Amino acid sequence: MRFAWPAIAALLVATSPVPTKAQDDGEALFEARIRPVLVEKCFRCHGGEKTSNGLKVHSREALVKGGDRGAAIVPGEPEKSLLIAAIRRTHDEVQMPPDDKLREESVADFARWIKAGAPWPKYTTNSADSGDPAFRAAAHWAFRPAKKVAPTSDPSGWSDHPIDRFVSAKWRKKGLRPVAAADRQSLLRRVYFDLIGLPPTPEEAAQFLNDSSPDAFERLVDRLLASPYYGERWGRHWMDVVRYADTAGDNADYPIPEARLYRDYLIDSFNADKPYNRFVREQLAGDILAREGPPDRYAEQVVATGFLALSRRYATAPYEFWHLTLEDSIDTVGQSFLGLTLRCARCHDHKFDPISSDDYYALYGIFASTQYPWAGGEEFESKKFHRQHFAPLLSESDAARRAEAFRKQLDQMAAKLAELEKQLTAAGDADKPGIQKQVHELRAEHVQLQRSGLPPDVPGAYAVRDGQPNDAAIQLRGDPAQRGNTVPRRAISFLCPQPLEIPAGESGRKQLAQWLTRPDHPLTARVMVNRIWQHHFGRGIVATPSNFGTRGAAPTHPYLLDYLAARFVESGWSVKAMHRLILSSRTWQLSSADDDHNLAIDTGNELLWRHDRRRLDAEAIRDSLLSVSGRLDRSRPTTGHPFPPISDWHWTQHNPFKDVYDTSHRSVYLMTQRLQRHPFLALFDGPDTNTTTEKRTSATVPPQALYLMNSPEMAAIASSLAERLISNETDPARRIELAHRLCYARPPTEAEFPAGIRYIAEYTAEAARTAEGNGERAAWASYCRLLLSANEFFYVD
Amino acid sequence: MPLDRRRFLQSTAAGAAAGLLYPRLAVAARMNEGRLLAPQPAHHPAKARSLVFIHLTGGFSHVDTFDYKPKLQQDDRKKVTAETLRDITEQPLLASPFKFAQHGQSGLWISELFPHLARVADELCVIRTLHTDILEHFQAVLAMHTGSATVPMPSIGAWLSYGLGTANPNLPPYVVLCEHLPYAGAQVWDASFLPPAHQGTRLLPGDRPIANLQSRTSNVTLAELEFRMLKDVNESHAAARNNDLALRARIGSFDTARGMMQVGPEVFDLSQEMADTLDLYGVASGDNRSFAWQCLVARRLVERGVRTVELIDTGTSNNWDSHGNMQDHRPKAARVDQAIAGLVRDLKRRGLLEDTLIAIATEFGRSPWDPGQGRNHWHKAFTCLLCGAGVRGGLAYGETDEYGILPIKDPVHVHDYHATILHLLGIDHMRLTYRYAGRDFRLTDVHGNVVQAILS
Repeated sequence: MRFAWPAIAALLVATSPVPTKAQDDGEALFEARIRPVLVEKCFRCHGGEKTSNGLKVHSREALVKGGDRGAAIVPGEPEKSLLIAAIRRTHDEVQMPPDDKLREESVADFARWIKAGAPWPKYTTNSADSGDPAFRAAAHWAFRPAKKVAPTSDPSGWSDHPIDRFVSAKWRKKGLRPVAAADRQSLLRRVYFDLIGLPPTPEEAAQFLNDSSPDAFERLVDRLLASPYYGERWGRHWMDVVRYADTAGDNADYPIPEARLYRDYLIDSFNADKPYNRFVREQLAGDILAREGPPDRYAEQVVATGFLALSRRYATAPYEFWHLTLEDSIDTVGQSFLGLTLRCARCHDHKFDPISSDDYYALYGIFASTQYPWAGGEEFESKKFHRQHFAPLLSESDAARRAEAFRKQLDQMAAKLAELEKQLTAAGDADKPGIQKQVHELRAEHVQLQRSGLPPDVPGAYAVRDGQPNDAAIQLRGDPAQRGNTVPRRAISFLCPQPLEIPAGESGRKQLAQWLTRPDHPLTARVMVNRIWQHHFGRGIVATPSNFGTRGAAPTHPYLLDYLAARFVESGWSVKAMHRLILSSRTWQLSSADDDHNLAIDTGNELLWRHDRRRLDAEAIRDSLLSVSGRLDRSRPTTGHPFPPISDWHWTQHNPFKDVYDTSHRSVYLMTQRLQRHPFLALFDGPDTNTTTEKRTSATVPPQALYLMNSPEMAAIASSLAERLISNETDPARRIELAHRLCYARPPTEAEFPAGIRYIAEYTAEAARTAEGNGERAAWASYCRLLLSANEFFYVD
Repeated sequence: MPLDRRRFLQSTAAGAAAGLLYPRLAVAARMNEGRLLAPQPAHHPAKARSLVFIHLTGGFSHVDTFDYKPKLQQDDRKKVTAETLRDITEQPLLASPFKFAQHGQSGLWISELFPHLARVADELCVIRTLHTDILEHFQAVLAMHTGSATVPMPSIGAWLSYGLGTANPNLPPYVVLCEHLPYAGAQVWDASFLPPAHQGTRLLPGDRPIANLQSRTSNVTLAELEFRMLKDVNESHAAARNNDLALRARIGSFDTARGMMQVGPEVFDLSQEMADTLDLYGVASGDNRSFAWQCLVARRLVERGVRTVELIDTGTSNNWDSHGNMQDHRPKAARVDQAIAGLVRDLKRRGLLEDTLIAIATEFGRSPWDPGQGRNHWHKAFTCLLCGAGVRGGLAYGETDEYGILPIKDPVHVHDYHATILHLLGIDHMRLTYRYAGRDFRLTDVHGNVVQAILS
């Protein structure tokens, strides 16, 4: 254990199997009365890599082997077992646990258990030394319910804010001292990028900097949270987690024009501060909720299941390698909502977390009982299969009526075709070409109507609905051809001992979603507040935001995490309330200055004695470049991506769909593919569209510099900014000032004025000498490009 | 010829001296440029100056390539105890469908998959007892590159850049040629907690391996002026921020980028290569993408002082992961065999093999058993090759059991493999450390022994 933890309610008690045999009695006793005590009382000193006196308690073998004093237990012989003497406190030297005597009943339980032969239920593990994984899980912080914790008191009086009180308690322990608060200019730029991903305009900057009222910052935060750009920023964060893409990822990477509806749903949900529990439920089971909910929210909730529909596709035919697509669903559900890596359990019981293959295929059954849409693939091109199972965004009765009309229309066309073909056979040579032409045209029309997958008058979403509900069989070693036992659909058993009550005819997604969003769920709230935290600080309290399992990072501030999770649930799962809480802390508002004393103690700033300087992510870089240069269209695109019409689709694996669509809208609206990455996003560490991205990297590589120096895109942006300066100001000094306010949200320093003016003069003179274009304009464009390429533009203090 | 630190700095400041339009910046350039990447002294005299790190993705089979097992051929379909991820079962052995023969004076056993490498057998050191910890691609690929199968850590190329710097300030210290992203993606060449300047730079085989290499203006002075002004702006920004390493690295990336603009186009211009050289690798006329082309470019990068050149042959699919049929190894081998052999011979005849180390590896081997005609992943014994500077050629090192299941003599863990490579480049793996989050980290964690017996 890395940190002390309050006594626990042992999780595994409830999961013990119903005993049926005498052997099981001993095992049931172990599950109910022995393991929880071992976990709670002994694990801290005898559980980890380093153990007191060499004794480990994580497996029967370890207890039999014992430690420096020899065997801890002798199965069948409680009176000869050192452990019993130690817990009875009758041993001369060893009395355990050291300060906290076990209750008498508990001591008797141990004696009874050893007498019964010390049975320990079978488990699988890959390393002889790692012991019972369920044992470790029971001790793992993230699998226990979040504790209701009160913030530590701060004797220094530095801050009353609950976050600050948790954080400063750690500083005091380590001898750290916080750096000074950030200045208002830094704070301004930081909060703009944190919340909306755009730089403040000079007017917005002035509004805040000239506002001396005590709640100026608070009101700024409110303004930004109310802005439509907020959802574009935070929706994009969620798109990383749900591996959003506008293509399917099959061998030909077919486009999904309807995917954008889900994208817009995410943006709208964040803007509306949709309670996170509802947000989760809609993405997993929105189609089912839609049938129960108000008609005006029908389409919205159906669209939400784009989360599942966007699971990665493979190969060429519909539903080919379906087990891998469902693996992506399961893995994304696990990582995004639960912070668990479930994928491993496809082929074998999880090596590190207590997730069995049974658990995996229990979830698999839920998603296998779900009808996913098919967006196309190589066999669409060959016209073997049309797009299918798109979800109509009309009420079911309307959709059914129109579908029926559509079917009739298609039938009539087919009949007409048959008729024409008959005529064609019978026709004389003179009439043949005319009929041939008619057949050809009608057939083309018929195919095209079918190909889109929906009647032309029915709007559709790339979303899921319940299919044929069935429990799934285990696929041995992950091979779908090798069937094992069938397992009932349910949630992960060690976290959810009770079966899900799945009504006949349903997949179980709704019940899974309900379980996930229970207020007392140990993971869901913690995982989400940690994600929010990560985007405000650059690193989560848990540094592995999608892995809260035993192999994930330990929280740097476990109590704070639990406190925030509790606040989150209490606030009605309000993401915006969490932003307000975090941003109002003094901790978040610290400057990014260094401090040698602190650096020596906590090099990585894990304990948050300063605010970490961060590079903008790919979208913020592009949006800022466009915004500052006046080229950004801040509206949401009203139409979809300019994909070719479906009638022209003919992509194959040898000729995959590959396109880049330029747009002046924000980067969240860029068309992103799976088999190729958008060139700008790839260059600046954009998200992986094939798998959930928990955290962006910000690599600094020369190709980025080459892009900034030499690309035609950058030249155009720099020219636009130069035009903006030239048309707004005539005085060079004023232009320089405007440039700095636009790019860096601050006025130039004393030195920057003459430096800039001299630069323009030298550049203009040199350009004139070689008669290269308009010397002065070129000089301003060059000046703009270098300001836009500079570190100050790319980093937020 | 290694550059010393002073000459390195002079060369990067040379452009600044030419124009003198901005003298203050020229001084700044001399003071700060290249600090992170300047050549550093080795711990001991290095055998190799450069490393060519070839990763054959997907797990190539040891018992079908370099670890000949006659007994496996005899006992085809005999059941053995087979360890899989979850349990221990009985599975039938699968004989190799490929013919083996001895090659060279050394008599190294090499299968028919590698006819060209067979002809340079006496240059190759075959390590037959490599073993790793995890038999999943993602983790194993990461382990081969970073020594860590789980937590992202710096890549071996990044460590070498950090430890030794680079001899050519105008090219990245660590170049990765890879057409398709590998398992674990860019983490494979990441600098992780090392300063980002040490991170691998990916070049994309094809028409424009490096995008945006051409300056916007033909007037060199104008480009120079803008470049130096940017540097000035960045320098004062960084100076006010305690010279934050990330900021410094980004400043350095502009220096490198400018160097690339000068020397880059020439690196990929094969017009001066002799026809027999192209033939050696198997580069066809107009080819600018094949693995052969990549191997030839690797030589050109090594010639120009790049510390580590990595070649990754395939991406996450259509690679050496032959679960279904071992015959799938044939096209994969055919794609790389002549190219790698060509690189060995070309370096040799130019005298460059004396200070270049070629390391050819995969993430794990394949199980000697299989119920079908393919093979599963197998991590407890597999084969890699070393070749060139400081390595005994024509040597088969280590021994696996009669079927190639477990090492029985001289096992070499991935950490040992890394320690040996670092040793050949003049680095003591125990001493190349980086303090991060309160701990000294190194490529080999707390393990690793140099495999002395393979050193020449």
